[in-house]
Amino acid sequence: MNSKILFTSNEKGKAIFLTERNVLVKSYCSISNKCSFQDGCQSCDMANTAKKYLADTTPNSGIIALEGELSAGIGEYKIGKNILLKAMGLGSCVGVILYDISTGICGIAHVLLPGTSQNGETKYAEIAIEQMFEEMIKKGARRRKIAAKFAGGAQVFKHMNLEILKIGNRNAISVEETLIKKNIPIRAKDVGGEAGRNVMFNPADGSMIVKYTKGETLWL
Amino acid sequence: MIDIENLGEMELDILKELGNIGAGHAATSLSTLLDKDVYISVPEVRVGEIKNIFNEFIPEIVAGVIIALQDLEENRSGYLYIMFPEESSKTIASSLFGLDELDEEMYESTIMEVGNILSSSFCDASADFMDIILLPSPPSFALDVPTAVVDSVVSQMAMKSNHIILFETSLSAGSDIKSYFALLPEAGLFEDIMKMTELL
Repeated sequence: MNSKILFTSNEKGKAIFLTERNVLVKSYCSISNKCSFQDGCQSCDMANTAKKYLADTTPNSGIIALEGELSAGIGEYKIGKNILLKAMGLGSCVGVILYDISTGICGIAHVLLPGTSQNGETKYAEIAIEQMFEEMIKKGARRRKIAAKFAGGAQVFKHMNLEILKIGNRNAISVEETLIKKNIPIRAKDVGGEAGRNVMFNPADGSMIVKYTKGETLWL
Repeated sequence: MIDIENLGEMELDILKELGNIGAGHAATSLSTLLDKDVYISVPEVRVGEIKNIFNEFIPEIVAGVIIALQDLEENRSGYLYIMFPEESSKTIASSLFGLDELDEEMYESTIMEVGNILSSSFCDASADFMDIILLPSPPSFALDVPTAVVDSVVSQMAMKSNHIILFETSLSAGSDIKSYFALLPEAGLFEDIMKMTELL
């Protein structure tokens, strides 16, 4: 395989590296704010560990390789195991992650609308969460072990002249209410604000990576 | 209720022409505003599923304004999204003021006004062509990647349909100014298009 996704961590931080043909092409790093290379991943302890792993694929304790990535489009959800989950370009939408760390089964939903609908469409918060939850259990996840993280629901318009565009907040509230109703514990959330987000989930350590479109990266 | 998924060639052509005429007039306005030649690309109309919309837009941060379009009876006709890549928007704002640096508020307000002018000429021309009324709302400004900006608009449309029609064209003035137009029509506008095809 030409592209690998690697996760590594040390006492200073954690990082996901996307690689192509054994070259690091992109990173999502928990210390990128303090790093002079930003996301360029020229050289640091973690980048070096990853490069060493790519150079000779001998087992390396510091590296966990993920089996690719899955991206949920608007109003969809995706389920996988040991796979990097993504929901990209979230404005008023909310990225909801459900995961069971004991079995490694996890899923991400890209929620577009609050509430529920009659015909079971997964663009609605309640339906997306319920369907994803049940499908994860079918695939082997344990009901009591599933926890949730979510991010999104921003209000990207600064000068708001249209009432109908204020949907971000309603989405975030609807997601939270659904999770509480279903007794799914919420481990982390990052909602509201004015900037768009890309939300990812790293199953290797169970953290949600929130990459703001304007630069900042959070590991939650 | 019109089935967006199964629109015919004729309906799509009318939509394309509608957007083309609108964008043409908007280009003239932009040209007058900047005192520069403005070129317009061949427009594209795409019918796609909402879940794939992420792939339809440029991935960089753009300064954009969203304008809601409605008719006299306040039925929603659709949305117009006018985008300027960050660099272009700064060039436009500073060339209008003849200043190199603008404070943030001035810059945002300038882009909103430019959006206002462009959307008005877009609406005038395309409404004239179809003999309908398209009233633009005041612009709403956002600086972010297009998908994050349009998703609140898309969510409005998603309540009725899983498909979306996207009309896209770009204007460019020299190498340093680019602008993208996206028109997201709603059912009301399709009914007008249908009426028009019946007359042909």
